[in-house]
Amino acid sequence: MDTADLSIAGMGRALRDGSVTSEQLTKDALDRVAAKDAGLHAFVLVTRERALADAHRADSELGASIDRGPFHGIPYALKDIYDTRGIRTTCHSKLRIDNIPAADSVVATKLTEAGGVLLGKLATHEFALGGPSFDLPFPPARNPWNVAHVTGGSSSGSATAISARMVRMAMGSDTGGSIRGPAAWCGLAGIKPTYGRVSRRGVFPLSWTLDHCGPLSRSVEDSAITLGVLAGHDPADAASADVPVGDYVSDLNKGVSGLRIGVPRAFFAGSPVATAEVLAGIDRTADQLRAAGATVEDIALPEYALFAAAGRVIMMAEAYAIHESDMRNRLLDYGTITANRFVLGAAIMASDYINALRARRELTDAVNGALGRYDALLTASALCPAPTFEASVDALASAAPMQTIPFNVTGHPAMSVPVGLSSDGLPIGVQIVGRPFDEAMVFRVSRAVEVLSGWESVGPPM
Amino acid sequence: MPSSDELSPGELTTEFDILMRRAGITVPDERRATVLASYADLRGQIALLHNRYAHTDEPANIFRLSPREGQ
Repeated sequence: MDTADLSIAGMGRALRDGSVTSEQLTKDALDRVAAKDAGLHAFVLVTRERALADAHRADSELGASIDRGPFHGIPYALKDIYDTRGIRTTCHSKLRIDNIPAADSVVATKLTEAGGVLLGKLATHEFALGGPSFDLPFPPARNPWNVAHVTGGSSSGSATAISARMVRMAMGSDTGGSIRGPAAWCGLAGIKPTYGRVSRRGVFPLSWTLDHCGPLSRSVEDSAITLGVLAGHDPADAASADVPVGDYVSDLNKGVSGLRIGVPRAFFAGSPVATAEVLAGIDRTADQLRAAGATVEDIALPEYALFAAAGRVIMMAEAYAIHESDMRNRLLDYGTITANRFVLGAAIMASDYINALRARRELTDAVNGALGRYDALLTASALCPAPTFEASVDALASAAPMQTIPFNVTGHPAMSVPVGLSSDGLPIGVQIVGRPFDEAMVFRVSRAVEVLSGWESVGPPM
Repeated sequence: MPSSDELSPGELTTEFDILMRRAGITVPDERRATVLASYADLRGQIALLHNRYAHTDEPANIFRLSPREGQ
């Protein structure tokens, strides 16, 4: 059996009907990592012994009729900002190159308790912001669709590992688009859940009030299954929300008939960065959703630049507060790109930050207002396909091609889902946004997009 | 505050240098041009947030000390 293209649900069925073991899934995945990663640099650490031990335990338990649920025996990997007990966690940085956490992050704990198999730790932009860079302890991950192109960041290794078929699901984090951006540029599904939906405890922060944890995966269903494992209240995470966890899988294939979907067209339509193929992808998706029975209408939101400004100011101010001491004393130990971005936080005044928080209230109210009239929003994830390394720009600059940060500012759940390839063979994605804690609707609409776009017939890069 | 467009390159540089000195950060000379360009871009974004709100417009982190209704 070729296990590389089995979905999480498919692996689960095969494990339970005895046609495959977790050990086989794990060895196959480790073989793919060994064969492919030298040219792609997705992994900063492969935890082979841990993976085989996890797999052995999963098989033994299933043999003893102990079933931990849909993630039992499934290989996965973690972005290297998630603490893993006894396993080096570097944030892809010289500053934490010897960091061995004493405890697992909550996400790592949940995946272990769900029976998952940890394959290793994945490349990231340094501290989830600075990259792609060639002056860090590990090389930057490359885009499997074309290795001359970036993956997007910061969950770069996560996207590379999945897109190259090494693993079906990997954890990312998203402070301004670090799950959805790489998902869009690597042809993957990636969800930023509602702020507070998944515990951030044990994940190195970039910006406390913008940080979200979530999965990247080959399909919408894979992400829905994974979020079901991860979601839930954590009293020890100050931002964690005590809101019941929904069923993210049951309504996946319910379709969009009767749903109302708003398109904030001014976000992307007039942008000089937007390519005709990305804009056509959004229009095509809107037409497909309409043909499937949804009402799709253009809506007005506050101007995109205001969302971007609020997000950047909040992120830079909070990140600087975290890195203030090292910025003063160890500036040259950061990668150049990271340092150049973080120092800007020192130039933000208190009134700048507070005005950004006043904007956050205005903008959140505006998005909530729109979602009072619509079940979901459809907009761009990225305005262009993945650029080459040489053409890559600061993702936070006012002219950046990512359009993901609005929903970090407002906290709404948002997912990037692929809809096709550009003429030069690079993936294009769209973004689906939902009401707070209504990830089930985001998955449902995203699944419809995945089906209607024909993406499932587009094979991953080999 | 004056926007970055209203400052001369020299004024922008002086302002940036003062802020870095206050923070105790020394930006290496070979990085200054890149960082200054980013600072000008950021400053343009910051300007969008100023003079927009009345005194009644509170920030998003205003908290409540009393339990919400129903709790």
